[in-house]
Amino acid sequence: MRTFIKQHKLLTFYSVLVLLLFVVTLLAPWLAPNNPTTVNLALKLQGPSAQYPLGTDHLGRCVLSRLLIGMQASLGSAAFIFVCALSIGLMAGTIAGYFGGWIDYVLMRICETMMAFPNLLLVIGLVGMFGPGLKQVVLALILVQWVYYARIFRGMVLSLKTENYVKVARINGSSSFKIIRKHIVPNIMPPLLVMSTLEMGWSIMNISSMSFLGLGVQAPTPEWGMMILEGKSFVRTNIELMLYPGLCIMLVVIIFNLLGESLASLFGVKKQALKGKEGL
Amino acid sequence: MKFQKKSIVASLMLSAAIVGLAGCSTSDSSSKAESEQQDVLTVAWPRDVAEMNPHVYNPSQMFAQTMVYEPLVGYGEDGKLVPMLAKSWDISKDGKTYTFHLRSDAKFSDGSELTADVVKRNFDEVLRQTTENGTHAWLTVLTKIKTVNVVDDATLKMTLTEPYYATLQELAVARPVRILGDAGFPKDDDTSKGVKEAVGTGPWVLKDYKADDYAIYERNEHYWGTKPDVKEIKVKVIPDAETTAMALEKGDIDLIIGEGAVSTETFKELEKDDNLETQISEPYATRQLVMNTTRETLSDVRVREALAMSFDKATMVDSVTAGMEETADHVLATNMPYTKDVAAQKAAYDPKKAATLLDEAGWKLNASGTAREKDGKPLEIEMMYVSADTIQKTMAEAMQSEWAAIGIKVNLVSEELANQVKRFKGDDFDINLFSNYGTPYDPHTFVNIVASEGFGYHTTMASYDKQQALNKEIKRALTSTDEKKRQALYTDILTQIQEQYSIVPISYINKIAVYQHDVEGLQFAPNRDEHSFTGIKLK
Repeated sequence: MRTFIKQHKLLTFYSVLVLLLFVVTLLAPWLAPNNPTTVNLALKLQGPSAQYPLGTDHLGRCVLSRLLIGMQASLGSAAFIFVCALSIGLMAGTIAGYFGGWIDYVLMRICETMMAFPNLLLVIGLVGMFGPGLKQVVLALILVQWVYYARIFRGMVLSLKTENYVKVARINGSSSFKIIRKHIVPNIMPPLLVMSTLEMGWSIMNISSMSFLGLGVQAPTPEWGMMILEGKSFVRTNIELMLYPGLCIMLVVIIFNLLGESLASLFGVKKQALKGKEGL
Repeated sequence: MKFQKKSIVASLMLSAAIVGLAGCSTSDSSSKAESEQQDVLTVAWPRDVAEMNPHVYNPSQMFAQTMVYEPLVGYGEDGKLVPMLAKSWDISKDGKTYTFHLRSDAKFSDGSELTADVVKRNFDEVLRQTTENGTHAWLTVLTKIKTVNVVDDATLKMTLTEPYYATLQELAVARPVRILGDAGFPKDDDTSKGVKEAVGTGPWVLKDYKADDYAIYERNEHYWGTKPDVKEIKVKVIPDAETTAMALEKGDIDLIIGEGAVSTETFKELEKDDNLETQISEPYATRQLVMNTTRETLSDVRVREALAMSFDKATMVDSVTAGMEETADHVLATNMPYTKDVAAQKAAYDPKKAATLLDEAGWKLNASGTAREKDGKPLEIEMMYVSADTIQKTMAEAMQSEWAAIGIKVNLVSEELANQVKRFKGDDFDINLFSNYGTPYDPHTFVNIVASEGFGYHTTMASYDKQQALNKEIKRALTSTDEKKRQALYTDILTQIQEQYSIVPISYINKIAVYQHDVEGLQFAPNRDEHSFTGIKLK
């Protein structure tokens, strides 16, 4: 263990950071110094103080508390989207790749149809249909996301299928399910881990974008994208209202990306293998 | 590494966009040439002016349509009707026949004369569109016109199926009853498909236009009224309000005008700038809480009254709009016709009294003391507002917080404007943060939609035991031909509406203008949909 850490200092560092992010997210309600939704117009747009470490916003709410609680919507939802989209994608991709034939044909045509539209446009369209709200945005993002996973896993499964150990397993009479479980899934785990960290950033950005457009998290629940929207009117007088949530999004996305990068070099995953998916 | 870099770049871009609003004022090299050219007024507008056709709606911009096209009758200060293309008019005793005497000195921008025939041609086409596909049926007068006849070259007679006092007010609206010249009509006269040429009688003529970039209007040399002092108006399309403000400070534009044209905080900043002048207009409309009284929670007038008195309206309006908007205690602003005798809504800020009212209504605080319940059901209400409107959003959050303090749980839902209107039309809402149409449509349009189904306003009176009588009274007011009687009816109608507390006035919507020192003589047009540029001089 110790040698591993020594050999992979950066990886360890980024992992700790990500872990820290999740811990802070979980503990946010206890870490927040004030109630993030309590309005006090008499105290609006105040500078930093002991009571309000990062000052107050245009409704006199504690900015730090809003940033902390906002993390739950951003990070928590992103993790949830990732797990759901990945599960669907993994299932669809593996089935399509392994069995081929008409299942493959149908699934891949569905994927291609969805990929033909720009992501953000598709999400906005879906949210328009479902109505605004965090749940709806999360659902829309999952629906848009899984097709990319499916494509990538299908490609991996197709190449794994021709490996000799899979052929041997099949000759030995192993069932399809067993082959997928024992030989295919473990082999696509490393690229999956890399993707997962990279995709977190994508999801966080999208949730924030939707909230920025007023379609995501509903007021007064704090969320970073919405905080940027709220701060926009005060860009001349109180630019920090936009800056804080902006910086938070940037930092979190960068941390996840750097972790993904380190993981990729650890596993020797070639990014080309993931090229079915665009970064944004 | 391409994939990951993209995400990083994207996240950097997002944060850069936050800071970088400053950098993206859409200036071009021509700005210098403009400042030398003294007689061009450059105005910023957030949207493309779109098609210059007097008979179509969005995306055509009303202020631009009204620069080029004029109505028979205009809407003046305090709702007084002023002669435009009709220099005078007679109304028959029974209120069913209107005779318009056209102005003899009015000419279209191509030099052709204004005749009764061309006015009739316009009405015929608009009425055809109304009967064939209902495009303009929202404008009540168009559903009541029986005939439009040419008496002689300068006289036009219009007969109605029943008396309708607001006929002249409705002929003053921005669209679709403004007059297009003969040269503008396409072969089959169907203007809904577009006009051949934008020929109007108004003070301005469209000279040059580039979609989503600019539109240049030139003075109409044939204009019948006082000719504008400025030779040209350039409307520059700048979608973002903050960018607009920066372009003004840089001197790229001369004038920003409109409702919420810049954010309240920015307006405060610009007010301090010695190089700029600011103006705030009289009220044009009222922000209101519109409550659906067919909902069980809101069917009790005590609950509605409690909602109205449990938030500190004056402080909230002052704080959220930075003093730009005035607190409203009247459902309709008192600078509108027939509203002057209506007393203010009595809902002074008193959260204690509000709590008592809720107790009386059976909504008692539960064991935890934070929420109210009645028969095990929580007091929970949904309120929708327009997602893009930051003033609405901030007000909604401020009210929500105060309502929560006395145990009313209000859930906020932000909707896109189109969706909000759709839900409102379908009565699919609890509370809607909305506003009335304003000048020149009110009070007659407002009371009309309160009395008729099809738009959410009628649900505000659903729990009123005298709703039927009220609707009859509204009908009487709209068809009455006696000015005094009508005034008395309006006072009674608006008082009853206010006493129901299902429409709670919040603040008056107005327009703001910010402009360079050398812009003189700017006045707000009394019609909400118009901007008046004719009196402006450039020093």
